[in-house]
Amino acid sequence: MSLRGIFSPGPLPPAHLTRRRDFWLSIMGIMLLAGVLMGVERLAGGYWVHMTCLAAIYLVLAASYNLVNGVTGQFSLAPNAFVACGAYVTSLLTLTPAEKALSFILEPLVWPLSVIHLPLGLALIIAGLVTAVMAFGMGFTVFRVRGDYLAIVTLGLGEVIRVVANNAQSVTNGPLGLKGITYLTHNLWWTWGLAVAALFVLTRLAKSSYGLALKAIREDEGAAESMGINVFWHKMLAFTTDAFLEGMAGGLLAHLITTISPSLFTFFLTFNLLIIIVVGGLGSMTGAACAALLITFGGEWLRVVEEPMNILGLSIPGIPGMRMVIFSLLLMACMLFMRRGLMGKSEFSWRWLLACLSRRRGRP
Amino acid sequence: MSRELLRVAGLSCRFGGLTAVDGLDLTLRAGDLAGLIGPNGAGKTTVFNLLTGRVPATAGAVSFQGQAVLGLKSHQINRLGIGRTFQNIRLFGELSVLDNVLVGFHGRLQASFLSAIFRLSAYRREERRTLARAEELLELVGLQDLAGEAAGNLAYGQQRLLEIARALATEPSLLLLDEPAAGMNPQETASLAGLVRRLRDDLGLTVLLIEHDMRFVMSLCEHITVLDYGKVIAWGTPEEVQGDPAVIQAYLGAGLDQARGEAGHA
Repeated sequence: MSLRGIFSPGPLPPAHLTRRRDFWLSIMGIMLLAGVLMGVERLAGGYWVHMTCLAAIYLVLAASYNLVNGVTGQFSLAPNAFVACGAYVTSLLTLTPAEKALSFILEPLVWPLSVIHLPLGLALIIAGLVTAVMAFGMGFTVFRVRGDYLAIVTLGLGEVIRVVANNAQSVTNGPLGLKGITYLTHNLWWTWGLAVAALFVLTRLAKSSYGLALKAIREDEGAAESMGINVFWHKMLAFTTDAFLEGMAGGLLAHLITTISPSLFTFFLTFNLLIIIVVGGLGSMTGAACAALLITFGGEWLRVVEEPMNILGLSIPGIPGMRMVIFSLLLMACMLFMRRGLMGKSEFSWRWLLACLSRRRGRP
Repeated sequence: MSRELLRVAGLSCRFGGLTAVDGLDLTLRAGDLAGLIGPNGAGKTTVFNLLTGRVPATAGAVSFQGQAVLGLKSHQINRLGIGRTFQNIRLFGELSVLDNVLVGFHGRLQASFLSAIFRLSAYRREERRTLARAEELLELVGLQDLAGEAAGNLAYGQQRLLEIARALATEPSLLLLDEPAAGMNPQETASLAGLVRRLRDDLGLTVLLIEHDMRFVMSLCEHITVLDYGKVIAWGTPEEVQGDPAVIQAYLGAGLDQARGEAGHA
C-alpha cells in the first residue's frame, strides 16, 4: 500500500456519531501530553524544558496566525506587531516597580506603568486584550485592501510597531529593551496550557458556522457577501482573535527569554511563522501545530550536521551555518513534493486516525 | 392582485462612457415568475449586480418590500430577502456541498461566536436546525447523495443546482437566477424548469431569471422583460414579447424587408 493510501483511509463516519468517544480520546491525549511534560520537567535538563516551551509558544503563534492567513485567506504579515505588543505589555505589568526603575536609566517610565505590579495570569489576559484592541484599530485600515496590498499594509504596520518600540523611550525603554523579566518555574505548564487552550478555541472556531463563513470568504469573497455574510466584520473577528492569542503567547515568550528588545520583533519572526503555516498546510490548525513542533525541534536536531564528523576515515570539520543550508533544502523539497503542506486543508481527527489504523490491520 | 414586492424606477448604471443600464423600470409582484432576456451585453447581469449591491447605481431607485435598496451593502440586501446565483458559477470550491449550503444559513445565525466556540445549547440547537434544513434543500435540488463531495468536483449542471440551494439557504423572498440553465443538457433543463416552478408554487418565492435558452424562458416565465443596450425594449407575456418587432430586430438584426428596402435605396 502506498504512503498516500495509508493516510487517506476513504470516507469517515459522521462526526456526531463518535462525539462522545472522540471527547474521551481527547481527554486521554491531553493526559498523555501532561505525562510527557511531567517527564520533561523531572528528567530533562533546562535546555529541553526551554525548547519544549518555545515549541508551545510557536504552536500558539502559528495556529492563530493560520486563522487569518489559512482559514480566512487574508495574507497578513502583522504577527510580529502582535507578539511585540503582548510581550511588552505583559513584561511592563509583571516587573516590580523596583526592577523597572533599575531598567529605565535614560528616561523614567511613565506614571501608571511605573507603579503597577500584577500577577502573570492577569497580565497575560490584559496583554491579550490590549493586543486585540490594537488589532481591532488596525483592522479598519487593513481590511480596506485585499491580497498583495493587504500584505504590504500589514508589513508596514508591523514595522511601525517595532519603530515605536524603539523610540517610545519612556514606555518601552527604547533599544535597551526590558531586562530581568522573571523566568517562571512552571513555564512548561503555562506555555502548554495556553497551547492546549488556544488549539481548542481555534479548532472549535474553524469547525463552527463562523469558521465556515471565514472559509467562504477565503474561497470567494464576493459570493460570501452575496450569501449575507458581513465580510468586513468576519475578517475583523479572525484578526482580533489572532491578535488576542498572539499577544498572550508574546507575553509568555518574554517570560521565557527574560530579555526583550525591539530587535527581537522584526519581520523575521513573521517570516518564521509563515514558513510554519505553509509547511503545515494553509488552513489546517492541527497542521500548523505539527509544523510548529517539527520546525522548532527540527532546527535543533539539525545541529548534528554542524559538528565535526568522521565518515569512513574522512574527517569533516564542523561548518557553522550548515544546518540552515540543509533546512532550506528540506523546505524546498517540502514545497516541491507537498505543495499543500503536511495536512493540506484537512484537520486531524480521531475518526481519521482510527480509520487509518484499522485499515492497516486489514479491516475494511 | 398580489402585493408589490420589487419596484425599480429609472435605474441607470454607467461605466465610464458606457451606459450598461439605462433608465430601467421593472415591477415584480409577490409570486411572479419573471424573465429578463436580451442579446449578449444587453446589461442583464448588471441589473442583477445593481439589485444586489455589487455595483453602485448612477441613478434611479429600487425598493424591495417598501424599503430602499440602493446604497445598502450586498450582505444587507441579502438579509432583506434577495437571494441570487451567479452566471459564472461562484461556489466555494474547496468546501463540501453541504458546507456550501450551510454558509448560506450563516448570515441569519443568531448565536454569538463565543457560544459557537463553547458549543452552548443555543448554538447547538441552531446548528441542528440548519443542518436539517440544509439536507432538505439538497434533497429539493437532488444533490443529497453528494453532500460530502467538494463543490468544485461536481458536474457543471450540478454546480448550478448547488448555487440555487445555497441561495435558498439565505431564505430569500425574491430569487434572482442568472442563467440557471447554461451548460445543462435538455433533460437537466426540463427538470430545472420543474424545480423553479416548485420554488414558486410550493415555497412561495418570487423568481426573476436571466436565460438565453428561449424555449426554457418562454415555457416557464409568465412575464418577460427584454433589454437591449441597457434599455427596456419590450415587456409582457411570452406571446406578446415573441411577436414584438423591436425584439426581433434586437435578436436578428434588421428585418428582411427593411434590409431589402435599404438595399433598394443604395
